[in-house]
Amino acid sequence: MSSNGPLTGLKVVEFQGIGPGPHVAMMLADMGAEVVRIERAGHQPMNPVVERARHRAAVDLKSAEGKAFVEQALAHADVLIEGFRPGVMERLGLGPDAVLKVNPRLVYARMTGWGQEGPLAQAAGHDLNYIAITGALDAIGKRGELPVPPQNLVGDFGGGSMYCAMGILAALFERQSSGKGQVVDAAIVDGVTSLMSFFYGQPHSALRTVERGAGLLGGAAHFYRCYTCKDGKEVSVGAIEPQFYAELLQRADAPEHLREAQMDPGKWDSYADDLAELFATKTQAEWCELLEGTDACFAPVIPLDEAKDHPHMKARGAYVEQDGRWHTAPAPRFDRTPNTVRESAQDGEEVVARWRQEG
Amino acid sequence: MEKQRFGDGRPPENAAMPLAGTKVLEFSGLGPTPFGAMLLADLGASVLRIERAGAVNPLGGDPRFDFIYRGRPSMAVDLKSPEGLERVRDLAGAADVLIEGYRPGTMERLGLGPDTLCADNERLIYARMSGWGQDGPLSGKAGHDINYLALSGALFPLGPSDAPPVPPLNYVGNFGGGGTFLAMGVLAAMQERQRSGTGQVLDVAMIDGISVLMTQLSGWMQMGQWSAGRGGNLLDGSAYFYRCYATRDGRHIAVGALEKPFHDAFVSALGLDPEDWNDHLEPSHWAIRGDRIAAIVAGEILEHWLTVFDGVDACVSPVLSVDEAARDTGGTKRGSWVRDTRSFQPFPAPRFSRSPVRQPSPTLDNAELERVLHAWRAEAAA
Repeated sequence: MSSNGPLTGLKVVEFQGIGPGPHVAMMLADMGAEVVRIERAGHQPMNPVVERARHRAAVDLKSAEGKAFVEQALAHADVLIEGFRPGVMERLGLGPDAVLKVNPRLVYARMTGWGQEGPLAQAAGHDLNYIAITGALDAIGKRGELPVPPQNLVGDFGGGSMYCAMGILAALFERQSSGKGQVVDAAIVDGVTSLMSFFYGQPHSALRTVERGAGLLGGAAHFYRCYTCKDGKEVSVGAIEPQFYAELLQRADAPEHLREAQMDPGKWDSYADDLAELFATKTQAEWCELLEGTDACFAPVIPLDEAKDHPHMKARGAYVEQDGRWHTAPAPRFDRTPNTVRESAQDGEEVVARWRQEG
Repeated sequence: MEKQRFGDGRPPENAAMPLAGTKVLEFSGLGPTPFGAMLLADLGASVLRIERAGAVNPLGGDPRFDFIYRGRPSMAVDLKSPEGLERVRDLAGAADVLIEGYRPGTMERLGLGPDTLCADNERLIYARMSGWGQDGPLSGKAGHDINYLALSGALFPLGPSDAPPVPPLNYVGNFGGGGTFLAMGVLAAMQERQRSGTGQVLDVAMIDGISVLMTQLSGWMQMGQWSAGRGGNLLDGSAYFYRCYATRDGRHIAVGALEKPFHDAFVSALGLDPEDWNDHLEPSHWAIRGDRIAAIVAGEILEHWLTVFDGVDACVSPVLSVDEAARDTGGTKRGSWVRDTRSFQPFPAPRFSRSPVRQPSPTLDNAELERVLHAWRAEAAA
């Protein structure tokens, strides 16, 4: 269970939650942090893959003993992660004012959808709601059709857990000079807004429009979209630059007229029809044979259960089999202090006892 | 400047930002590389961008509106000249972090590979951003966001079941699975360096980052609670309580009422009896119930539904355009966007209580470049 990751020695207390909070704790644990997870008694892991590498402790936060245990853990911790509605930790007597008074070095990370403040802060919500009000969802889908939810990759994780983890690590860096912790308010709505920085400045170019289904990156361009093959399987092409586009057309033996006016949005629909016809003439495997591993910006569209078996993913060790399950390998990769995937154990009490001994 | 919006205890106006004092040398690139550098600059790092002399921004447009290049000056250097290389090696010697996103092998060919620069400066954190990673059979091959999504299993489930998948623009690959992992990895390596005194090399690959973003779905899939296919999943638009609906005026609402209390509040507010809408997690109910709700929602305009759902814990939101979101008509009133003299731009995230982040300046001019170079030199001399 030992780790050599870059966060080795970091002590984290995670309060059981759903979505982005556990994902933050997982990433910190994968990088070597020692994470004690405070769970309700009788909790069965909702997702043993995300809930890996934790030191679990069953605690009744409303009992005196439970609260005393958590207070002891927090007195020695570097980081706290919680994702309750704003005010819940305060009502438990575990709000930032109370906890930072005892441990001024603590980085107190609060992971929510709407943020700690604002008129929606107390409202229920999920990923789809958070990305809906940022403008991110409006841009995904086909012209004239309903917006397509990108599962929960953009809100909970891309704009949620990633920003929370980054904020925790930035606050730890700041603590090296100030000696003090602070509160990190990680709101999915803020993170998703930041993710959209690329689009917002110049939203009226074809590359960066956020009109649904109309932009180059939104699936409107014939050279940046998916096509169906002869066997019903699909492929993706993303040949934006002229030299890559030329390579795609040449290797795929596309009709000559497609070489002209690649960047003219007026041609995209008819060119897409041409390419749809072309891609329907061969199977996915045949297209992979012709295009994969070239500069045509091509990849087969693979369902998640097959991703771990693709030769490139295998070569990178993108998935690790452990405990009878497939685990996503931690990212990014560190050359001197590599990350490891570890199992969870019901030993949170022992770990906190050790923290106390170590002082 | 917009003031920092935060709960208890507002930080002082002049408090240092969290990454103040960190020097980052960025080799200019596209997508995730400048985005990762933007995130570090947003948090207060001093970032200096090296542009190849004569390089033209392939994205076109006015660079002052390219927010992913904000908050830092750039310097044009001829990387093929001995003087240019010498200059860059000097800067790398003074930096804490180097960020590059060229094809694997390019920095080595320029004489700027990690073996060279980390020998010059053993504290240097050398972060390499790519799509396919530094090794593996596809390493070094051209690709874009859509390809990385396709190979990692993230693209397959997106869209209606009867058509090829729809790319979620480049949110998930370039940014969510790319630039954010670059920034997080750099910060983790800085934490480690505090103990060891030594930097290291980071291999930041979008296919790896996307896979980590998929961890929850991958876990659910292995528990038999999520299918890798297209359509029929809880979060892909198939469930009638987790999808978008069109209103009479051509707008949309987004519903995310996963839990039973929220689900029941949602159907009640539509004038339906929750007693008749049991077993909401049973997929065989989804299509027919979705059609029924679509017909109801289509009968009224967006404004009507926002009034109906105001203050109801039913997880209903308007689907806003980016322009509306920037003007905060959605009502978070968080100031996720801030306005400067020319435009709206995203405010840095997340928020810190004691060392607040500030509204970033646009891409900076020569005077700022001189100031940054002077500061780096002065610190190296000290």
